[in-house]
Parts: sequence; structure tokens; C-alpha cells
Amino acid sequence: MDWSRAKWFDFTGTIKEGQFSRFGNEVIEILRQSPPPKLAIVLDTAFGWQHKTPAMVRDHINLSGYNPLIGPNHPIGERFPVIQGIYNADDAERLALETVVVAGLKHGRRLSSDDAEFMHVLGADCYCFNVVPTMLVAAHAGCKVLAIVGPDNHTWQAEIAAKINELSSCAR
Amino acid sequence: MKTDWNIAAKSLDNALGVIKAVCHETPKVAIILGSGVNVLIDVDSPQVLPYEEVFGLAPTVSGHAGSLTVGRVGAAQTLVAIFRGRFHLYEGHDWSVVTLPTRVIVEWGITKLFVTNAAGGLNKQFQVGDLMVLTGFRDMQHPKLKETGLVPALMQPATGCKNALTEQILRTGADLHRENAEIGALRQGTYCACLGPSYNTLAEIEMLRRLQCDAVGMSTVPELLTAAGSKTQAAAISVITKVWGDGKPMGGHREVLEASHAASSRLDKSFRAVLREL
Repeated sequence: MDWSRAKWFDFTGTIKEGQFSRFGNEVIEILRQSPPPKLAIVLDTAFGWQHKTPAMVRDHINLSGYNPLIGPNHPIGERFPVIQGIYNADDAERLALETVVVAGLKHGRRLSSDDAEFMHVLGADCYCFNVVPTMLVAAHAGCKVLAIVGPDNHTWQAEIAAKINELSSCAR
Repeated sequence: MKTDWNIAAKSLDNALGVIKAVCHETPKVAIILGSGVNVLIDVDSPQVLPYEEVFGLAPTVSGHAGSLTVGRVGAAQTLVAIFRGRFHLYEGHDWSVVTLPTRVIVEWGITKLFVTNAAGGLNKQFQVGDLMVLTGFRDMQHPKLKETGLVPALMQPATGCKNALTEQILRTGADLHRENAEIGALRQGTYCACLGPSYNTLAEIEMLRRLQCDAVGMSTVPELLTAAGSKTQAAAISVITKVWGDGKPMGGHREVLEASHAASSRLDKSFRAVLREL
């Protein structure tokens, strides 16, 4: 993993570095800055699951009905980006985290329990609002993504951030 | 982007006006061609109109030429309107623009429409270069899904789209295959239209397989939805330009274009045979 140009995107409102209330133009601008980041470290809240602990994202299903790359293509990337192999979940074990497939939904949208059950049938473990659009813009800009999702509280972020920082400093 | 229905309606009238000033006869058949799908290159007494002239705008994607050719095909000299290229939702166009060529076809009074596209193969029996006639589709790209998300739509079964025209293609395809085994048998199946412009993740591919979709692309469903309920009967064919296998690397747009060029000659034979039968 290339830690040299890593950027934090914390959508859970907890850690000091890289706080964003939600995915939007501000996030897009950072992912497309010159030179663009090589790694986006994303923390987001997940719903529709029973987990009390965080998990690392290994893949996603976009169920939002939207894609932030719609419109004229930005020259930083290809018109039709290939988005396989973007999530880096190799360090899940070292961080003692399970891996999950997340579904991406429109910001603030909650699924009924029937809908959440159907989402599990489709192959997603939980859903979140910011990981998927951030990943799509990152992938388009040639940036890998290390994404961690956790329950809707502030108990897990500091420990995860410390572990990631440790990994990063070891790697350097 | 909000639909401005006044502009949309005007574009329809404008387009028909431009076309009818040049073509005084209503074609029997219309064909909309997708990425790199190149058939009916030689038609007799062709009249060519760039999209810019007809619709006031041109497609922004390479491999989509953006022109309308009206010409005659075969011994029967069937008049055919060939729309090369289309407008996509991922380009930022709204529904009224994406469906504009089909609305022109319907309003012009063309009663038979063939739609083609380049698609990824989900069905594990498919091979690159296969041609799949659509017998059903799933819509994961309609602008209304932005409000609801995809979950409610995915809970519904796929929409069937078999009709006399699809039956005709399948029959003609079977005949061609019997006469010449080098022309592979036509496939049939369900096409899923995704918004794009990014290709799918592996988890999305797996989901679409669970939903029993056979191919995935970014177009065609707006055309089929627009023709449905009109006097224009529509049939669609996908050119399978890649198949996801275990551990195989994913190709990009260039691979899609190469595969669809190679399949075009077989599709060309099929179209000419179908036109003879009409």
C-alpha cells in the first residue's frame, strides 16, 4: 500500500483529521488535487447490520441510483473507469478486522427491515452513505481506498485511526 | 438536471423537420447502433445527417459516431434509418434527450426498431463476441431511482420484452446457424441497464447474477421503455464484449470496442437476413 500520499476522510465526525459531514464537492476536489492522493482512508457509519465493532470494506454494491462521475468526463481519469481492485483490504488481518461488502445509498436514506434483508440477499452486509461515491471518484482519479465502517457511535474511530497510523509509519 | 419539456418537445419537432426535409418517405425499419457496433455500412442511395444537425447535439463518447443514415438495403430495397450512436444518462443528459432518437423514430411512424448495444456477459456460458437477443430487462438507471434507490426496483421481477420482432430475429438466427455453423447460435436473455459511467464491482456482478441477469450495459432500456406502448415494435440485441471469469483481469473501453467490431460482421449478416424476411 502506498501511504506516502494518503488522505483521511472521516464521515463519522470523530477524528481530528479530514472531517467531512458528507460526500460532496469538497471531497471531490481533494481527490482531484494536484498531485492527487494515492490512498483515501475513509471512515463511515454503517447501518442495516447488528455489528458492535468496525469492519473493513472489501467491495461495494451501488444501490443509490446515482454515480458522482455522471456528466462530462473529468480529464484526471478515463470515461469508463474500471473499479475492481480499488479497495485495499489486505491489512484487515493486521488490524484485526473482519471484511464486509457495503451497499451505497443516497445520503440519509434508511432501509426498512424487509429492504435490509433483501440487501443481504443481494450480497451486501450493511449500507452506508459516503464510502461508495468517495470510492468512485477516488478510483477514477487513480487512488486506492482503505475504508472502514462501524456502528453509529464514537467508540471505535480513535483506536482504528491509531492502528492505521501505526501501520503507515511502520510501512514508511 | 431538470427536464425542460418545452425544449424536449421542440427538439423532437426540429429533428423531424430536419429529417423530413431530406427524406420524403418513411423508412420501414430503424436501427440504433451502440459502441463500435458497425453494421449495414453499405446501403444504397444513402443520405447522411450528423446528429448535430438533427438533434442539435452530438454524443461525447469515442466509438459512438453520431449520425443518421437513411438508405436502401437488399434486393427488396427496404428503406432503413440507421442511427449510429446514442445519448447516455452518464453523459449528464436527462431522460428526454436520451430518449429523443427513439421518440423521433416513433413520431416518424417507423413501425420496427432494432436496438443494439455492447454489453458485459454475466451468464457464464456466454463468450466474447456472442450475440444476445433481449427477452427481458432490468432498469437500474431511470432518473426516478435517484429518489427511491435501487432496492424497491430490484425486488420486482425483470420486465419481459419478447414480441413478434424478437421471435423473428431468433428464427432467422437459428436458420443462419443451421446453414453455416461458423455463424454462432444466437443467445437470449435478460439485460440489465446500469447508470455507469464506471464499470461494475465484482460484488455488483455477483448481485446481477443472483438476479438472473445475463448481460449488463449502460443503455437500451430507455429506448425499449419509450417504444413500449407505441406503434413501434422494438427488439434489442447485445454484443457480448467481455465475460467475467474467475481471476481474469477486467478490460476497459478499448477491449469493448475491439470485441464489438469483431462481432459486427455476424450481426450484419443477421440484420440483412431479418430485413429480407420482413
